[in-house]
Parts: sequence; C-alpha cells; structure tokens
Amino acid sequence: MPDLLPFLISGLGVGAVYALSGVGLVVLYRSSGVLNFAFGALGAVAAYVAWSALDHEWPLVLAVLAAVATSVAISLAYGRLLAPYLAEREPTVRSIGTLGLALVVLGLTEWFWGEQPRRLVLPTDSGAIEFADVRLTYTRVLGLVTAVSMMAAVGLLLARTRIGLAMRALADQRGLSAILGIRVLQVDTAAWVISGAFAGVCGLLLGNIVRLQATVLTFLVIPAFAAAIIGRLSSLPVTVAAGLGVGMLEAVAVLAPGFSPFRTATPFLIALLAIVSWRDVSRKA
Amino acid sequence: MNIKLHSFIAATALLASGAAMAQGKPVCGLNNGKAASGEPIALGAVVGKTGPDDFSASALASQAYFKCVNANGGINGRPVELTIVDDQWNPEVAAQAAAKLVKDRKVLAMVGSSSFVECGVNAKLYAQEDVMVIAGVGVPRECFFAKNYAPVNAGPRVSATVVAMYAAQTYKAKKMVCVIPNIPSLGNWACDGAKDWGKANGVDVDVIAIDPGSPDATSTMLQAAAKKPDAIILNVPKGIMVPMLAAAEQQGLAKKIHFVSSTPAYNFDVPKTIGAAWNGNFDIHLEFMPVESAGADNLNWKATMDAYGGKTDPRDSFAQAGYLAARIATEALLKMDPKKIDRAGVSAALRGVKGFKSDILCRPFYVGDGARHNANSSGPIAQVSGNGFKQVSQGCLMAADPELSDLRGQEKKLGL
Repeated sequence: MPDLLPFLISGLGVGAVYALSGVGLVVLYRSSGVLNFAFGALGAVAAYVAWSALDHEWPLVLAVLAAVATSVAISLAYGRLLAPYLAEREPTVRSIGTLGLALVVLGLTEWFWGEQPRRLVLPTDSGAIEFADVRLTYTRVLGLVTAVSMMAAVGLLLARTRIGLAMRALADQRGLSAILGIRVLQVDTAAWVISGAFAGVCGLLLGNIVRLQATVLTFLVIPAFAAAIIGRLSSLPVTVAAGLGVGMLEAVAVLAPGFSPFRTATPFLIALLAIVSWRDVSRKA
Repeated sequence: MNIKLHSFIAATALLASGAAMAQGKPVCGLNNGKAASGEPIALGAVVGKTGPDDFSASALASQAYFKCVNANGGINGRPVELTIVDDQWNPEVAAQAAAKLVKDRKVLAMVGSSSFVECGVNAKLYAQEDVMVIAGVGVPRECFFAKNYAPVNAGPRVSATVVAMYAAQTYKAKKMVCVIPNIPSLGNWACDGAKDWGKANGVDVDVIAIDPGSPDATSTMLQAAAKKPDAIILNVPKGIMVPMLAAAEQQGLAKKIHFVSSTPAYNFDVPKTIGAAWNGNFDIHLEFMPVESAGADNLNWKATMDAYGGKTDPRDSFAQAGYLAARIATEALLKMDPKKIDRAGVSAALRGVKGFKSDILCRPFYVGDGARHNANSSGPIAQVSGNGFKQVSQGCLMAADPELSDLRGQEKKLGL
C-alpha cells in the first residue's frame, strides 16, 4: 500500500483553491441566486493579464491589481448590463446566461493570447514548507490561508452586515425587497464585484498551481461547483471542507490502478453523488 | 601566379554561391528560373490547424517549396497545386477532407499532411484509392502502421525510445519512468518502445498513463518519483509538459532525477517558460537536425521559407518535415514522364523512393512497398541551454526498438 500522505498533502494545494472558488460561487448564489459558470473563465483572463503584465516587467502588485481589476470589470459589466435582462427568469436561465459569458471570455482569451505554453510564476513559489516528503510552495499555503480566512470574512459579511442582509433578501425575494427599499442596483453591484474579485484571485492561484491555459482554467469551475453543491450552496464551512476533500481525493486517485488515467472525472463523480444524496436542496442547483 | 589567381577566383565564386544560398536563393526542383505553365498536378494535405494545437506549419512549408518549384520549371514544365484542408482535430471532418481531396479533387498524392486524427480515419480510404501520403508529421500508432502512409517524422514511440537510450548511455540510468497521456493509440503504444528496449537491455522502464486534462501535475510527479527512477521520460505535449516540470521543480526533483523528453518539448518558447532550474538539465530528442544547423539543405529550407513562405509561417521542426516531404515528392515526380503522370504512376514512384538524402535527416529516407512506414527512426539529442538549445549528442542515435525489427529487415534489403 503506497504512502498516501504525500498525495493528500499535495492535494491540499489545489483543494484550497477549489474551496476558495466554491466560496466565491456560494457568495454570488446567496446574493443573486445565480450560479456563475463564468467564474473559471474570469479567473483565466485575470491569470493571462497578470502573465502579460509580469512579462512586461510590471511590479507584482500592479500586475495582481490589473488582473483582479479585469475580472471585476467583466463581472461588473455582465452583472449591470446583461444580468438585469434575465433578472425575472428562473435561476436556471440566469445561470446558463453566465455560461454564455464563460464561452465568450474563453474564446477571446484563447484568441488574444494563443496556444503557446506559459507559466505564471509568483514570488511565493520560491519558498516552500516540507511536510511528509512533499513540498508545499508558499503559493499553495497562501491559497489555503486565503480560503479559510475568506470563508470567515464572507460568512461575517453575509450574516452580520447590512449589505449582507440586503444581498440575502434580494436573492430570496427580489421584487419584495425592492419594494421594501433595498437599493437593488447597489447590492447587485456589490455581489458581482465580490464574485469578480474572487474569480480573479482564484484565477491567479490556479494559473500558478495548475496550468496557465484558458480552457483548463475555465473548466476548473466544475470542481468548484462540486464543492459548492456539497455545501448545499449555503454552508461556507462545508464548502471549504468539500473543496479540500475534492482536491485531496483527486490527488490520491492517481494511485488507483485503472482509474488514474481518468481521474479528472473525480469532481464530477463527487458532484453527482452529492446531487443524488441531497436531492431536495440540490434541485435548486 | 596565374594558378593562384585562378583558384582564388574559383574559391570566391564558390563562396559567393554558397553565400547566395545562405542568403536566400533557394534551390528547388529543376532550378531553371522558368515559371511552370503546363497542366497542374493536384496534390493535397490534411492538417490539424484549428484545435488544441496548430499543426499546419508542415503543409505551409510544403506549399512554400512547391511555389519555389513552380517558379523554377515545375515538374518538367507542369506546376504543382497543393490544396491544404484543415480537419479541425475532428475525425469526422478529417474523413470529409480526405474524401474531398481524393475523390472530388482527385489528387495524385498527399504531401505534407500533419494531423493527429486523420491516420486512423483515412488509412483505409488511402489504401483503397491507392493514394500515397508522404506526411510531414504523424503522431498516433495508425500513422506508422498503414500501407499508404509514410510520415517523415519519427513519431512519439521512436522519440521516447531514443531519449531513453540516451539517458541510459549518458546518465547510466537503470530505472526509468515514462509518462504518456491516456489517449487511444498513444497511451498504450508510445512509451512501450522505451519499455521493450529496456527489457532487452537491462533497464527497467515503468509506464504511467495520465489523464491529459488533469489539473494536478504534482501528484503525477510524486507518483513517478515514488518509483525511485534515475530518469523520467516525458512523452507529452508541451502544454502538459510545462506544468509537470514546474511541479517537479517545486518538489525539488529537478536536482534528484534526470528529466528527458521526446520531441514535443523542442519548441523555442519552452526554455524561457520552464525557467532556470532546467538550464543544462533537460534533454530532448529531435526528429530532425536542429533548426539552426548549418547544413546546406537546412539552409536551403530556410531560404525557401524566406523567399516563398508567409512571414508568419513557423520555421520549426514541423516546417522542416513539410519541406522534406515536398522535396521527396518533387524528386519522385521529376523522374516520371510529364505526360503520363497519373495516380497509379505517382504511387509507384513514391513507393520507389529509397536513399533520399538530406542533412536535415540523420539517415536516408525511404518509402518502399511494405505494409508500414517509419523510415525516420533516429535523431540527435539537444539540451536546454540558456534561452535556447544546444546539441549534446555526438551525431544521431538510432532507436533500438524491438518493434522496428520488420523495418530494419526492409532497410537491409534496400541496402540502407
């Protein structure tokens, strides 16, 4: 029985970013009722913008800011210009709308930056902590820390702040909330901005940890969804735990003879299991 | 005095013509500077342009060479018309492309094709219609096991075998791991050359088939390293190879294990992308002599591209392959009676190709009438050096893959 521990630890790196993406997805869902399929694509374009900025010798801070600003801008543009047209439709339709956005952003990213192999190198790559025969670069540790702290921060935002309350009200009953005087536009903006910012940060981390390639990054939204679905689209701690779990399972799956060449199926299988087991809540999803 | 002057002038003239060749006067076909104007000879090429990667450089180079031929007397007066079709990496589209070229356009041969998907789909059609394909680049197993398909490149199985042999020779590696994507006709074939060679030579080669879409390169590297190999052979496309090397670097494997790769890593973006940890630390098998080599034919290839190719056409090893394919076809066609060029004659002429020499190739190319073709089975080894590559092998290594034994027999018979 080969040693599982190195793979579990290594899976924590990617799992942390799945967890963070899951939190970003749940935030938007709880504040607008939309499942954002474009999360991965926005992350991809942010990662490429950061790569281009670093390639042009920009300082890291400016590159990261540019990257996150890009994803926020696209997210905001969609949220304010296109999403309102779908605001009165069922959640399914609104979510598929974001799939359209994902495909457009993916296409533009691939067309603009092309197919040549690239690597997004961040300064946190150079240091690492050694644990059970595996080295976790500081980037992955950063991902883990960010996931947990964001989970706490977003939880606080939604539960304890006025804008959090407004977001939840809007997601529940949009028309009624508007009548009650909740400033719909302002709250919507906040929700899409937060989601865009999450997407940008996750894109940077995944672009570094996984691969700087638009299609791969866009479809990493699927494992994030698996995490969000297991968290029943409401519980942030469970989402984070699920994200870490999916990452670790996918890493360990490399040791399963016969299954290993197909292990990208792991998040799908987990999501499927979750949907079947929690049918009442996941019907919404 | 007179003799000295005479030889001085002769030497200068030689230098000047050599320099002219190096400077962009390509030599092709009949080389008589006369534009060809007879009845066109229809040739075709199927390339995977739109999709995971752009393989069209091969056909573009063939097209450049044929343009040069057409400007220099054509095929005994007849121009060549090369029709290039994009199969979009889709087997269905590839089948339609071949049908269009073979049945509608009635091409006499296919030259410079480079597609990942068309070999399996179209091999039967080519055999049925007796169309010979001198492909630039073939990848899956079916490209090297078809009666009418002769790729100019070596293929991933040969490439991995040669680089494994190099690792055993140079690093005295006794245990290796070969990483291959789990794609049909690749995952169960392309690393087995190294494995079978290893079995016959006391080297243990383990094969890991990976999910090409997997976002987790670290686990794959950990899994490979857990087998405690002396060398790891990466036999994957460069888009997957880069994150693997990044993961290996992060896990500190770059200093512990020798990393080598088959030919997809030979791309001029790779050294800068993979970073300084791999400087002088990553060896790659090349299917042809390096792109910057100074051989006369290699320089002629560059000159042809500069004079007749598009400005954005890549000048990489795919283009070298396309140029060679076009040169092979041209030389075979020039031997035929220009009034009697038909498909059967062309196929026979192409099958008769043997002893085709070029300094871009390590050994002479041949086609023959065997049931399969893999004439390019050797190559030099280059190493990542600074922002580029440098050749580290003394000349070329020839693959000792047991599966090639039928072809070695054929080569002996042809006297090669």
